Amino acid sequence: MWELIGIWLAALLTLCIFSFLYRDNPFYRFAEHLFVGVSVGYGIVLTVHQGLIPFAWNPLRDAFTQQQWIGLVKIIPICIGALFFARLFPAHGWLIRYPIAILIGVGSGLAIPNVMRADIFEQVLGTLTPFAQIHAGELDPFQIFGAILMLLGVISTLTYFFFSVEHRGVVGGVSKIGIVFLMIGFGSAFGNTVMGRVSLLIQRVDFLLADWLHLI
Amino acid sequence: MIEKLMNIDRRIVFILVGLAVIIPSLLSVSFPITVSQPTRSTYDYIESLPTGSTLMIGFNYGPSSLAELHPMAEAVIHHCFQQKVRVIGMTLLPDGATLGDDMLRKVADETGAIYGEDYVYLGFRPGATQVLLGMGTAIDSVFEADYAKTPLAEIPMMADITNYEQIDLVLDLASGSSTEWWIVYTNTRYNQQIAAGVTGVIVSQMYPYLQTKQLIGLMPGLLGAAEYEKLIGRPAKGTEGMSIQSFAHLLVVGLVILGNIAFFIQRRQAE
Amino acid sequence: MRRQVPLILCFAFGIVMALTEFSPHRFSQWLNKEVIDWTLVIGPFALVLAIATLIQTHWTRIRRRSEYWQYSFLVFIGMIVMVVIGIPLGQRHPVFVWLFRYVQVPMDATMFSLLAFFIASAAYRAFRARTLEATLLLAAALIVMIGNAPVGDLIWNTIIPFGDNLPSAARQWILDNPNLSARRGIILGISLGVISQSIRIILGIERSYLGGVEGD
Repeated sequence: MWELIGIWLAALLTLCIFSFLYRDNPFYRFAEHLFVGVSVGYGIVLTVHQGLIPFAWNPLRDAFTQQQWIGLVKIIPICIGALFFARLFPAHGWLIRYPIAILIGVGSGLAIPNVMRADIFEQVLGTLTPFAQIHAGELDPFQIFGAILMLLGVISTLTYFFFSVEHRGVVGGVSKIGIVFLMIGFGSAFGNTVMGRVSLLIQRVDFLLADWLHLI
Repeated sequence: MIEKLMNIDRRIVFILVGLAVIIPSLLSVSFPITVSQPTRSTYDYIESLPTGSTLMIGFNYGPSSLAELHPMAEAVIHHCFQQKVRVIGMTLLPDGATLGDDMLRKVADETGAIYGEDYVYLGFRPGATQVLLGMGTAIDSVFEADYAKTPLAEIPMMADITNYEQIDLVLDLASGSSTEWWIVYTNTRYNQQIAAGVTGVIVSQMYPYLQTKQLIGLMPGLLGAAEYEKLIGRPAKGTEGMSIQSFAHLLVVGLVILGNIAFFIQRRQAE
Repeated sequence: MRRQVPLILCFAFGIVMALTEFSPHRFSQWLNKEVIDWTLVIGPFALVLAIATLIQTHWTRIRRRSEYWQYSFLVFIGMIVMVVIGIPLGQRHPVFVWLFRYVQVPMDATMFSLLAFFIASAAYRAFRARTLEATLLLAAALIVMIGNAPVGDLIWNTIIPFGDNLPSAARQWILDNPNLSARRGIILGISLGVISQSIRIILGIERSYLGGVEGD
């Protein structure tokens, strides 16, 4: 019974959103605003139950009920986190800078070594490794062509994004090659994006035709 | 005529797109799927895992991407349960929490997998990169209980799983940046093997990680789901969807070609 | 207090995280883990910011009777219903899951499926081979689109007697070669940007995260 009501409700809300294809209208605006509210409400519930309760509330509760006094150390980050509530009091709004500064500092500190290893060292290694394989005679001519193409592509793309030098002469030529690679890259992204967006539509049509109307 | 063709009401294009999806859906068409190497690598890796291995799945997508990633999740979980590979589900996004729970229970119902022995669902924790790093030391330091709030210590399957050392593969099903987080913070730091299934929008940007083996496999959107379904011999929503997708792709290709023909004719006339 | 302390906190936490990432010493690893645990506690409190901003935006719309202000009540209704059910009953309660499954999911999924229509319309109107770069973008997109669709291989294999599954092979080659090079160039560029920005943040050169909050 509740499932049936749910499917009808879901179908009506789906049609409300699809009505935007004709033009902006009250049905669409109704669904759009309801969607924002429900999504935020869902996010609040999940963050409270799966974030605040296990990370902040439970250690404190255990500290008092099970005498796990070590849990009281968590009072410090809880108090720092609670400074976000300062946003609600304009005169003390600046206090939210404390938790933000800590989160940003930690994020930056973590990013420096890890991003350097994962996104710079590994990527440079990945570009050069095929040449070691060429030297060892492990690649066929087509793969050798691929390795040279990759090196050319990476260098030329980086040159295109290097704005400290005027893009003239050799630099200009190399950066033009970079544009070629970028355009092919963006083109392939577009092709895949079409697949992604159409997939979403197929799923909604499948819901309407199969689950709601039982036509398939 | 050409002018008219170029300034056609966009709602006519909308109707064509709608028909390109609705008609094949009603006719239940089906085309053969060609499996790409990145999807096959993911399948081969899971296929080679011995019984009792553990796969962690990150349901890092919301309802806006479930059309692409839910079929993929379904196919991979089916494969794991067939292979007797244990599955741990989790998410870094609140929107993925209920979706992951639903999907694991659905496949478990179909295959007879038992909660706490064959699979566990940890749910969501806010903090993204810190969650990933925290699990590197001890999973229970971040998820002290599962999604149903049962302490991990009381779940039999988790008895011998402490951190990434006991996880044979992480499969990140992503609609955003989560795959990059897994690569940067768990592959690099903990040498964790990672595969990804991502939406069509972001699949192109994952290829550099595939070549460096920071990703051992990659499944591209609904096509990836269809490919995986073919590999496990269980056609489902992915296969069905990709056959329908073909018509929409042909339409878009046709529209682009038509638009360009009109554009060139108009330009020639102007010259 | 208002600017100096956050800058010091950011510096201290950033330096600690960056340095402890490199050191395998037990104390260093303990400190690293402890700070990560702290941020896990602090992070969820940021939810207050999101809720306060949303409420403020829609309350202002209602107060000023902006265009479509009545719909802002729907945002509050959606949010309150989810919170009132989800907080006391939990995220796995059938009513909460029902609301997610039949209200949030269809609206969210349909909202994004609209893009299938718009992307097709945009492709028809704007995807023109005006220049060499635009032609490359267009050609790559078409090859990827045809290669992604199973019907592409089927048509090719039926009509052309050679090169089995060439459309999907061509798509894969584009993704594995020129696309990879372009993306790698972008990743390297972004990573260098992330690292330099992180260093600037830790050293207090980049301070925009402090913002200009009320009560400053």
